[in-house]
Amino acid sequence: MSSHGGDVPERVSEHRRIAVLGGVYSNAEALAAVLADTRRRDAEAVFCLGDLGGFGAHPDRVFPLLREHDVRVVRGNYDEAVAAGAADCNCGYTDPRDNHYARLSYAYTVAHTSATNRAWLATLPGHRRARLGPHRVFMCHGSPRRINEFLWESTTPDGLLRRLLADHAADVLLCTHTGLKWRRALDGGAAHAVNVGAVGRPENDGTPDVWYALLTGGPELEVEFVSVAYDHEAAARALEAEGLPREFAETLRTGWWTTCLENLPARERARGRF
Amino acid sequence: MPAIPPGVADAPRAPFVTLSALWLVLTGTLCNLRCTHCLNASGPDEPWLAPLDGAVARRALTEAEALGVREVYFTGGEPFLHREILPLLETSLAMAATTVLTNGTVMTDALAGALAALAGASRYSLEIRVSLDAAEAEANDRVRGRGTWERALRTLRTLDARGLLPIVTATEIADGAGAYDRFRALLRGLGIAKPRVKILPVFPVGRAAGAPGVRLTDADLEGFDRTTLQCAETRVVAADGVYACPILAGLPGARLSDGALAAALGPAVLYHEACATCHRTGATCRNA
Repeated sequence: MSSHGGDVPERVSEHRRIAVLGGVYSNAEALAAVLADTRRRDAEAVFCLGDLGGFGAHPDRVFPLLREHDVRVVRGNYDEAVAAGAADCNCGYTDPRDNHYARLSYAYTVAHTSATNRAWLATLPGHRRARLGPHRVFMCHGSPRRINEFLWESTTPDGLLRRLLADHAADVLLCTHTGLKWRRALDGGAAHAVNVGAVGRPENDGTPDVWYALLTGGPELEVEFVSVAYDHEAAARALEAEGLPREFAETLRTGWWTTCLENLPARERARGRF
Repeated sequence: MPAIPPGVADAPRAPFVTLSALWLVLTGTLCNLRCTHCLNASGPDEPWLAPLDGAVARRALTEAEALGVREVYFTGGEPFLHREILPLLETSLAMAATTVLTNGTVMTDALAGALAALAGASRYSLEIRVSLDAAEAEANDRVRGRGTWERALRTLRTLDARGLLPIVTATEIADGAGAYDRFRALLRGLGIAKPRVKILPVFPVGRAAGAPGVRLTDADLEGFDRTTLQCAETRVVAADGVYACPILAGLPGARLSDGALAAALGPAVLYHEACATCHRTGATCRNA
């Protein structure tokens, strides 16, 4: 596990193929399955774009897995809040229903994250850079300009992406925070934006599987989203055993989001059941 | 139009960070309703703030795209009274997610169909925010006018049937605690499976303005991150200039430029009582 401090991890790693995942949300069962899958797919390095906590039942079980697989982590808003002992998760919700569930999750996560792990969260960098062949990759949690900015597919214009890439001297932007994956090629494939989605919560598509992204460098950047089945029933039972809201377990079992969906834009909201 | 009020020169400022949201005051203050709390005192009489010329709106959209804008809002008055709203929406949706704030009383099946077609043709979300002020007809109509509740509910059903997932936007003027849940229940009762509700505080501006009230000072903002204010990332184009706040559009003390958007990217002046409300409540004029 890397432990760059501060916001200036400007050491640029170079790779042929990387796996990038986001939003672990304390779902150790899903994380273990995803990391095993990245090994089978010949990923040279695994990056995680943050939000290790929230939602799931076992916050502290996530950290040894990241260490064992040498995952390079970017700080998410949740990590920042837990490390600082902040009053809330700074997820950026504005809806009362979203905030209700976010508060429950956050209080549980803080109470079940060890002091050692909280201290480690404080060392995480705000972004990372890598090279994939000729492509300059910028990795962040929400957006390069704000840790909790939601870059939804239907509310992120090409003009904004071009500006963010130019401002950060990159050809490829990788982010998470929304929990929903998407990708877009700009300017004939000269630039790319990829939201890698989340591994801690399903895709709001009616299946319990979770997703991460595999990126391969070359003259053309290859982006593949990979779905992973895992023991979601065990994760759901753990939520119930901890007394966490039954809506959380329902999401893991059905693949439909039941909470924290009031901030979804119309297009993304229309795809889900609730 | 009111004169520049005293205190503007000494008022605290909010820095401009980036252009995330562009608002177009499409119909100025022209509206078919005359709500008792209207933020900019819109109504059916000669508007005190003129409608926006279509060419000016298109120029603002082009400028905003170049600045990397994230989302666009159409407001008024009642923006569906603007004769160019559909072509302007088409232009806007070609570049960014776009929201229309409507009172929900001028919607027709044909218009809803046209909106659904625009939404389906765009990669970006089209959001329709429909204003209500209470989950019960009588309380709502006391604020918004007789028959408005029933017409707005018909619009909500029509939009939902087209898959447009309208957002009910309500102020806290007529409905007290529990309004959010009552609106959700109302929408569910209409058969709307994905009820979306946004509650806003009452701002002391427009018809809700009272006697001069509390204004912000730099001391009030000590230790507060001013970049979190909406006006740090918002610009509003109206017929007479560019502003940092949609509810202060048309007020001379709030005007940042009388021309190009690019000339209005300096600090916003937090001189109005409504600025104190925004600071105190943490309200966002955006959808989320």
